[in-house]
Amino acid sequence: MNPFDSLSRRTFLGRGATGLGWAALAHLLSRDARAAAPGIPGGSFHHKPKAKRIVYLFQNGAPTHVDLFDYKPRLVREHGKPLPDSYVAGKRFSTMTGKADGKLLLAPVEPFRQHGQSGAWVSALLPHIASISDRLCFLKGMHTDAVNHAPAISLMLSGSQLPGRPTLGAWLGYGLGSESDNLPAFVVMTSVTRNTTCGQIFYDFYWGSGFLPSRHQGVKFRGSAEPVLYLGNPDGIERDTRRAMLDDLAALNRRHHEEWGDPEISTRIAQYEMAFQMQASVPELSDISREPESVLREYGPDVRTPGTFAYNCLMARRLLERGVRCVQLMHAGWDQHNSLTTELYHQCRDTDQPSAALVLDLERRGLLDDTVVVWGGEFGRTPFIQGSLDDRARWGRDHHPYAYTTWLAGGGVRPGMSHGETDDLGMNVVGDGVHVHDLQATLLHLLGLDHERLTYRFQGRDFRLTDVHGTLVKPILS
Amino acid sequence: MRMMLPTGSKMAAAFLAASLALAEPPRFSRDILPILSNHCLPCHGPDAAHRKGGLRLDTAEGARAGGKSGRPAVVPRDPDRSALIQRISTQDADDLMPPPSAHKPLDATQRRLLVDWVRDGAPWGRHWAYEPVVRPAPPRGAAAVRNPIDAFVHDRLARENMTPSKEAERATLLRRVTLDLTGIPPSPDVVAAFVADAAPDAYERAVDRLLASPRHGERMSWEWLEAARYADSNGYQGDGERTAWPWRDWVVAAFNQNLPFDQFTLWQLAGDLLPSPSRDQRLATAFVRHHPINGEGGRIAEENRIDYLFDQVETLGTAWLGQTFNCTRCHDHKFDPVTQSDYFRLLALFNRTAVDGGGGNPQTPPVLEVIDEPRQRALDAAAGTLRAAVAAVVAAESSLFPRPEGAPLDGSPAFKDLPKEVAEALKVEPARRTAAHAGKIHAHFEKIAPAYAATLPPFQAAYDRQRSLQQSIPRVMVMEDVPSPRDTFILARGLYNKPGIKTGPGLPSGISPTPEVPASNRLDLARWLLRPDHPLTARVIANRQWQLFLGTGLVKTSEDLGLQGERPSHPELLDWLAAELVGSGWDIKALQRLIVTSATYRQSSQATPEAFRADPENRLLGRGPRRRMPSWMLRDVALSASGLLVEQVGGPPVKPYQPEGVWEEATFGGKRYQRDSGASLYRRSLYVFWRRIVGPTLFFDVASRQVCTVRTPRTNTPLQALLLLNDASFVEAARVLASSLCTASPDPAARIDQLYLRVLSRRPSPEEARILRDAASRHASTFASHPAAADKVLKAGDTPAPSNVPPHELAAWTLVASTVLNLDEALSTE
Repeated sequence: MNPFDSLSRRTFLGRGATGLGWAALAHLLSRDARAAAPGIPGGSFHHKPKAKRIVYLFQNGAPTHVDLFDYKPRLVREHGKPLPDSYVAGKRFSTMTGKADGKLLLAPVEPFRQHGQSGAWVSALLPHIASISDRLCFLKGMHTDAVNHAPAISLMLSGSQLPGRPTLGAWLGYGLGSESDNLPAFVVMTSVTRNTTCGQIFYDFYWGSGFLPSRHQGVKFRGSAEPVLYLGNPDGIERDTRRAMLDDLAALNRRHHEEWGDPEISTRIAQYEMAFQMQASVPELSDISREPESVLREYGPDVRTPGTFAYNCLMARRLLERGVRCVQLMHAGWDQHNSLTTELYHQCRDTDQPSAALVLDLERRGLLDDTVVVWGGEFGRTPFIQGSLDDRARWGRDHHPYAYTTWLAGGGVRPGMSHGETDDLGMNVVGDGVHVHDLQATLLHLLGLDHERLTYRFQGRDFRLTDVHGTLVKPILS
Repeated sequence: MRMMLPTGSKMAAAFLAASLALAEPPRFSRDILPILSNHCLPCHGPDAAHRKGGLRLDTAEGARAGGKSGRPAVVPRDPDRSALIQRISTQDADDLMPPPSAHKPLDATQRRLLVDWVRDGAPWGRHWAYEPVVRPAPPRGAAAVRNPIDAFVHDRLARENMTPSKEAERATLLRRVTLDLTGIPPSPDVVAAFVADAAPDAYERAVDRLLASPRHGERMSWEWLEAARYADSNGYQGDGERTAWPWRDWVVAAFNQNLPFDQFTLWQLAGDLLPSPSRDQRLATAFVRHHPINGEGGRIAEENRIDYLFDQVETLGTAWLGQTFNCTRCHDHKFDPVTQSDYFRLLALFNRTAVDGGGGNPQTPPVLEVIDEPRQRALDAAAGTLRAAVAAVVAAESSLFPRPEGAPLDGSPAFKDLPKEVAEALKVEPARRTAAHAGKIHAHFEKIAPAYAATLPPFQAAYDRQRSLQQSIPRVMVMEDVPSPRDTFILARGLYNKPGIKTGPGLPSGISPTPEVPASNRLDLARWLLRPDHPLTARVIANRQWQLFLGTGLVKTSEDLGLQGERPSHPELLDWLAAELVGSGWDIKALQRLIVTSATYRQSSQATPEAFRADPENRLLGRGPRRRMPSWMLRDVALSASGLLVEQVGGPPVKPYQPEGVWEEATFGGKRYQRDSGASLYRRSLYVFWRRIVGPTLFFDVASRQVCTVRTPRTNTPLQALLLLNDASFVEAARVLASSLCTASPDPAARIDQLYLRVLSRRPSPEEARILRDAASRHASTFASHPAAADKVLKAGDTPAPSNVPPHELAAWTLVASTVLNLDEALSTE
């Protein structure tokens, strides 16, 4: 029996509408959903969780691992030399590269340096992230199955290359419910570096709920005028007028409920009441006027501009501290096919400082202990050049699914370590590889869920975020 | 509904097959196969490549033979010697089946069922949905029966010690059936006439009138568009706009004309392969091509092409067969009798077009130009104008360049001394000249031969007009087979670059009936689906029709009638409906008429809280359906109740109000949403432009139009309430509705009466009227002291406010109208 089918029939009999929060609703609903879901035992965690919430800083377009995190001195030494055939062997690349043999190796565009006690190698392009590297866990053996953006991002976020499966945040909402009284469990915000030439699009299936009930879908908070669609009352209708109107609505609905008996009517009353609460809680969320200047400064100069990554990082912290289960920030523009010496610098400028600031801000507030931070994209970029060696202004790297780097921080993750290894060119994973499904299994584990038991029956099959794959990456657990 | 059982929850539990079964000997298909399917077949099923221990439990032979151990898994009548029973009962965790690592333990009831079944001789059978439909006789003796549907339903209720509910109030029933059949509420006059109509067939006549309404086809099209994953753009990066809407209009017309479902199927799957296909038969095949197209740079064409084929096969599986084929892309099905090779044989039937997967052209050939009459007239007129303009040019040129009859222009002495590029341009036949040619000629002769030059701009204008008309002809992507099809290979793990053995076209062998002749194209496929002895098609369609009117299918998992799907709540009723459908010549309107005229459908949905708790989803059908309407219908209802609705059928998609920046933010400014004005704002939701990467924001709980979807959940989130309260379409509808109330009468009581009649098809109770009268005067005094606020409310939407109603009053009644439009009752059919 699919849990969502019973949702519409849940009752709130015996409770007044006022004061009934989102979490209460979600709790009531999800308790039923769990009872009916074979994958969830009795409405609690599968094991003791290390973290309560997660923020995914998704770097859309695929950051170049060999320029940012995965230092390969041989690339510097053999800059301009052809890639040895032995590294390619039957691999497929995007049609822009076609066959990879004979391509020329390209040194990282900026020097690397070791940082902190852990001695992590990080590019000079990311000084702020480098400065907190003792708090981070670098997964250098990431690899994926897809070579194009949309399928790879979909795989990263939903476990499947084709659109239509529930995404990580939706699974978490389904499995764990919400902790917030007046905000959704799963919030998404997007940003893009200004004037980028990249054409990556944020498809709404990147935060879709697939076949899970649509209330688990990520709610996109917009970077513009109104963070939530339809949040504001129409012009001329003030909050107290709306209150009065909703009181009348509830009174009429209650009368009808007494007459008709359908518990759905009580749900309707609660639904409108929560909408009213959200009309207050979301503007409060976006009001950063009381953030200390020192905090704002830490996130960098863009922090006051809605729609920037810096602003979104600050919002992420505010969302997390208000009990939102999963915050997914998506920042586009990392697709450096011909802009390693130009736009890559802008990407790093726009994301480096806010990413580090968020980790530090969470830490200062005691939230980092039970918040998982994930930073990374959908694949890596080729250690060899796309473009001409002579034309430095248009150096680029193509898509590279065989190896890339993602970093984690926070709840349950061992800080100051690097896990996984690529060969001396950064082409292939040679040790401790972490497949997309392995990362997903690990993230669920940190939040108290067993990826093999978090299931949902659809079209006759018990679906999982990790499909039929995924192995917990134990060495990185604290 | 009268309840005779002590507690509700017990009632609900009794509905589950497993607990029912304990009272009588287990039945294989109902009780045993679901256990085997869910707990055993993932490793011991039809999927040979992943079968464990050499044991298969999906066939009687396999179960009796046992696996590698050599011991029979099932020894009929002897549970003690049956390895299956030992393995599910052992205390030894290493031996226990299913293994603990599978997280699918059997409970005590399931184990007991299996033991009882073996003791009874382990009778085998097929999954119910693969058995041919045998028309069951309706149970006899059930009282108050309007048609055989009720006999089945009442019989089941009687077995649960329940009785059906009384018939719904007339107005309630008319509102329900009108919304279900047309998606538009009945007008107060129609309700009044119906309530006053004492004739015994008043309801049936109302149903016939609704089935004949042009609104009916529009209402029925929505779910088919969701199944067809119809969208007005490609999806993915670029998301180029398509012109597939002539197909959508064909669907509306097909429902309105009641095209029999067998034809509806044949045309859409294989209309192009029918002898001398008509334009509509070819147009219908666009169904197959509504899949997303991925135009992302660097995308491998073959990978795209294979993705499109997967989508086509899986859409067929869900839409017509109620089968989940996507598993069989990579391996034999774990539960259902469909193999990977079946999948690729089906795929071969679609793998015969010229589509190569490259690029993101939203009109990738084969395409069909769809020219309707007005467009044809415009094209004819433009062609006539152009001919006349060309004739004028030719005439002027023959006097300017005198020459012997039939000689070319450059044979004229006057042709000498012309600048080279002018001469070159002139040598091109007038009808073939480009804008550049015309420009050069015009510039040269403007001064020296003004009479001739004057013929050129009209020619250019006529030429441009014709060209733009031709470019704007909707071109719909359709199906068309090439003479020598590509080879089809079974792809290892479904990967486009891992071709295995070559295969040819064919039909799934495990789903009876197996065809006598091999299927070679889509037409064979469609004919197979429509064979009267096909076990699935009619059941799948009848079940979805039931879902449409009663809210839940007789098989709730209407997308999956396979082993893992839910068993039907009323198996005999489903078979009876399927047999009716085929027997009527696939007459969909007849089936719908049968359902909505049944006493079952006509029941009141009012019940006690205990009854709602006992059977929350009304699976036993002891009361009438009460459901929140689909979100798209809510908008149509608001437009209709306010009088804004523009009842124009068909045409290019429209763009109503949408918050600013939604497309722009999703596409980095690549796509700008330019909303329409005038009548286009008030067309039905069916016609709203559907951008696949960012769907219309004013709907919720709708299919995403990425893949075939035949069931969408109804959920409740605060975001939905925000939309219904604040979206411009709904606010304008409330305001225009208020204008109409205020203009019609100065009396608040009369206004509230009218408001209720328009939105809820009934009059308010005195208490309801009092609450709203008080609300109106309270809001009016608020707005009277805030005139600026009232003015703002009056500016919601493009429709001007009437000048003869004071603004504060109109603003107040706008809120009252909005209150009523947001009542749970207004959002529901009850």
